[in-house]
Amino acid sequence: MKEQVEIYSQPELENTSLVVGWQEDAGKLGSKIINYLNEHIKGKLFCEIEPVKFFPLGGVSIHKDVARFPISRFYAGTRKDLVVFDSNQPPNEQYQFLTNLLDVSKYYCKTKDLYTVSGTIVPIAHTTPRRLLAVFNQPEFQIKLRGYELNSMTWEGPPAINSFLLWVAQKRDIPGVSLWPEVAFYLAATEDLKAAKVVLSFFDRRFDLGLDWTELDSQIKAQSEKIARLRREDPEIDKYIRTLEVGLSLNEEEQLKLARGVTEFLEKTPA
Amino acid sequence: MAIKFYKTPELEKPDLICGWPGIGRIGIMAVDYLRRAIAAEELGEIEPWDFFQPSKATIQDGLLKELEFPTNKFYYQRLGTRDLLLFVGEEQPTEDGVIYATGEKGYKMANLVLDVANKFSCQRVYTSGAAVTQIHHTLKPRVWAVPNNEDLIDEVRDYENTVLMSDIEGRQGQGAISGLNGLLLGAAKKRGIEALCLMGEIPYYLQASPWPYPKASISVLEVLVGKLGIDIDLIPLDEMARKIEESIESFLSSLYEAEAIPPPIRDQIKESIEKMKHVRESRGPITGEDEKRIMEHIDEFFKRGER
Repeated sequence: MKEQVEIYSQPELENTSLVVGWQEDAGKLGSKIINYLNEHIKGKLFCEIEPVKFFPLGGVSIHKDVARFPISRFYAGTRKDLVVFDSNQPPNEQYQFLTNLLDVSKYYCKTKDLYTVSGTIVPIAHTTPRRLLAVFNQPEFQIKLRGYELNSMTWEGPPAINSFLLWVAQKRDIPGVSLWPEVAFYLAATEDLKAAKVVLSFFDRRFDLGLDWTELDSQIKAQSEKIARLRREDPEIDKYIRTLEVGLSLNEEEQLKLARGVTEFLEKTPA
Repeated sequence: MAIKFYKTPELEKPDLICGWPGIGRIGIMAVDYLRRAIAAEELGEIEPWDFFQPSKATIQDGLLKELEFPTNKFYYQRLGTRDLLLFVGEEQPTEDGVIYATGEKGYKMANLVLDVANKFSCQRVYTSGAAVTQIHHTLKPRVWAVPNNEDLIDEVRDYENTVLMSDIEGRQGQGAISGLNGLLLGAAKKRGIEALCLMGEIPYYLQASPWPYPKASISVLEVLVGKLGIDIDLIPLDEMARKIEESIESFLSSLYEAEAIPPPIRDQIKESIEKMKHVRESRGPITGEDEKRIMEHIDEFFKRGER
């Protein structure tokens, strides 16, 4: 692990909960949650997993005019019991990467439990309340978190990196939960702020954070108003959203039109 | 794996400008020309044996006297109001037979360069290279600029003859930078050092040519010296660019008449290249397939020339 991890400082940490978010996530949930938590705990970078071996290093990609580079960073701040991990998803050697992640959490963070976040895309309207689905790696932990309005997930298919991480944690006897807030499919390419609030509300209760909702609520209001304006300007978009609101489904072409219409409108319309 | 310093001058928040070989030798030519123009002094070098194969052995009377490696040297100069560090690498460290630096070696090299940037408290890092595009060789190449930090975008918009990726038709602000130029931007971003890659445009039909393309190096240098507020004599580089342009004209004339290329393809190559004299950067009329076909013939032609 030594060569693949860089430790910048050793904050005083005890019995921590580790929150893991990925940059590539539906509705930009991972980065939104991580940034929000980090800001709240005044998180400072104390450790990084080096990108060599885990990410292709043939150069850099450019997005919105700016060079991007993979990050895999641990932050700790005012809370001795909370560590945040902000990372791109590594395309290579995932098992080694996740092992490094848990090694750092064990040896430097004394982690007692693990929380991961990923959006799950569902065919609902943005006005519909989001559910928070959950996957646990230990039944005892599932029982412990009863009362937090988590909905147990049932699903079968190719595993996301969060499931892989839960499995590696299970092998090491670290209790963990993967949180899957519902993301309205036509907000998946932009931001689903209501989904972000559902997750943050869970963390607020679970870690007794006392989060200030002013900024996020105002962002949610602004996003809702923008979509309302689009609905007034574009009857077809309004029709599709109304269809979803009454619990009916859209065909593939209608879904694509709705997703494209909302994404483009939100991107080009200033707040 | 180490950096050997010949001296450690006191420098005040210098900028670091880096150049490596790449398409048209645009980056290295710009940086090396600047180095000579400002009479920069040698500062140190990255020990090469972990990165490169030796390039030359000197044996005398049965004794190995010397083994030479590609050099990767740092230079410095104090320029009145501003201090400058330069890095000139003769080769990019490569793995798996690819042309550009990739993987662990490339990343390590980028980080060694940035160790020097940190040691001297550099405020900004510049790298330079080539932007392969549909431009005619008689037109003045623009410079494509890619920062590693959103805060630099407004500054870049004020540079002369410079475009961001979102200004380029069909790019929508997206793209990629291969090799050390890209790795350095990324590794600098990781360290919180602001960095900017300046890429001079080169016609796509010259990307495999054996010639350097000083015309694009001039464009890169103009941006750099403008930003640094210094004045250097670009006439020798202009003269070199003019001579190479003559060679390109001569090469294209031969290409347009080459018997080995079927006449319809020859005509298509000529039309595709010559129409760019009048239309800058149009992705429309030439398709990716056309470009591939044209490049296959031009590559073959260059190879024959080399033989």
